[in-house]
Amino acid sequence: MNWIYSGKCWKFGDNISCDADLMKKEFASTRETRGEILREHVMCGIDPDFPKKVSPHDIIVAGKRFAQGNPHIQGLLGIAALELGLVVESIPRGSYRNAINAGLPFLTRCENVTTDCETGDSLRVDFSTGEFENLTRGIRRRFEPLPPSMLEIIAAGGWGPMLKRRLAAMAA
Amino acid sequence: MSSPQTITQKILSRVVGRPVTEGETIYPEPDLVTTHDLYVVNFDQALRGLGASKLHNPDKVLISTDHEPVAANKVAAERQKSIREIVGRYGIKRFFDTGRGGHGHVFPMEQGIVRPGMLVIAYDTHVTNYGAVGCLGFAVVTEISEVLACGSVWIRVPETVRINLKGRLRRGTAMRDVAQRLSADLDPDVVDYCVVEYGGPALADIGFGGRMTLCNTPLEIGAKSAIIEPDQAMIDWVSSRTKEPFTPVSSDPGAKYKLVIDYDMSKLEPQVAVPPRPDTVVNVSEVEGVEINHAFIGSCANCSIEDMRDAASVLRGRTVHPRVRMFITPGTQEIASKAAQEGLLQVFIEAGVSITSPGCGPCAGGRVGTIALGEKSINTGTRNDPNRLGPGDAGIYLASPFTVAASAVAGQITDPRAFLP
Repeated sequence: MNWIYSGKCWKFGDNISCDADLMKKEFASTRETRGEILREHVMCGIDPDFPKKVSPHDIIVAGKRFAQGNPHIQGLLGIAALELGLVVESIPRGSYRNAINAGLPFLTRCENVTTDCETGDSLRVDFSTGEFENLTRGIRRRFEPLPPSMLEIIAAGGWGPMLKRRLAAMAA
Repeated sequence: MSSPQTITQKILSRVVGRPVTEGETIYPEPDLVTTHDLYVVNFDQALRGLGASKLHNPDKVLISTDHEPVAANKVAAERQKSIREIVGRYGIKRFFDTGRGGHGHVFPMEQGIVRPGMLVIAYDTHVTNYGAVGCLGFAVVTEISEVLACGSVWIRVPETVRINLKGRLRRGTAMRDVAQRLSADLDPDVVDYCVVEYGGPALADIGFGGRMTLCNTPLEIGAKSAIIEPDQAMIDWVSSRTKEPFTPVSSDPGAKYKLVIDYDMSKLEPQVAVPPRPDTVVNVSEVEGVEINHAFIGSCANCSIEDMRDAASVLRGRTVHPRVRMFITPGTQEIASKAAQEGLLQVFIEAGVSITSPGCGPCAGGRVGTIALGEKSINTGTRNDPNRLGPGDAGIYLASPFTVAASAVAGQITDPRAFLP
């Protein structure tokens, strides 16, 4: 797995909600999990054209409580399917778990990171070490990366592939 | 000598067989695994998709029928039929069908299946209710399939926030008011992923129902779970319900907490959570006069016999306002039975209340007693996100059984103190 993402910054504020901002709630109700469907609707409550604007390895930077509300995984699966990275000031526990299960590389508890970048800046983030670099503004910071056991799940592609691996090991 | 531990650390240490530290990732094998009727078909599909044909330990699994106990359409009836086939196929013996048990976050405590010191991992988030008997409940939602197939799933050992309750509730206020005010006052960034542990001198005055309410609400602001520090009242309550042995677990003196709060319950006015979230909470005086169409008392937050008594104390000799339809859902078969014996159901019937089958009631996504476009509801459900009880509501308000009952009679949000002796 390549943990280093170099791409454009897409900045959002605090309290981005799972069910209104990040994804249509109907996909949570129908338990949709296909990335190719969900990727078309990421950030639909804020900017319906967002999926068309981004490129793989671009990075969403957001404030506190990213993906708050009822912890539905669909928005995070959509972000992972767009191959974006995520750097946030905080993420509630349910969405923390869902982001790992979605196989989405992210950094959290990145204090005041939203003051260090603007949409359009050129970023380089190493999700395995927590190194964060804003190439446009010449800012370098180092945040705490996820624990190795969580990185392992993300590298496997998320919860589904990891569970298959575990079941295969148990059967062996 | 090992360092002092919280209740949570002690329970998790017992389960994994060594002292755990906060922040580490563990794979604890729970004492019980629970899921409800709306995820049985789904976990079966997930397991089959993974090629798993048996459960790690079906004797540890409990399935409740609480989200849709009364099949009101063919889809629901077929789902119930599938559930019966699935539990038989996997050899799950603790299956509580319609009319047996009731709410899965309540009756396992009444029946002594859930006891102090246990670890339960569940599909549904409000498993935190088990904290009322000193049991640690963690929800993992869809990953319950992994627990069912493999016996465990990863858990980060959480930190603990300690709340010491003191003071006596004023007339017309209830534990729901305390729980809602706490949700509003606590910083979600501090509580996030913590277990909320309750203790303090006021605990002695708080019954089983109030303890469930306290353990039900913190997850709405991001807590991992909630638990009551065991006391004699808890031990007596559990002992009266089971002959199975249990070991109450308390925090050690000097245990490390992320935050300790002393909370005085005696200053509180009736509280109302206004749209759009359970933690947007105001004094009832700020929303008095808001006209409502729908009222409901029940859900895993407020379905106990104490809640039924609080509701009856307001509704006795009164009738529900003509504009309002009111539903009351006793949480379990046992609570419904007690409410009948105490004459409370008669009070509800005479007041014009519709009594529904034990379980979640309308709170389970409005499967019964849905509200219509542009209507407003006041209820004791767990959440008030827009559309929670049906699409297009004009506002969902959450409050105590006193406030909900008084508002149902008045037809508008009302301070219940005028209705009480």
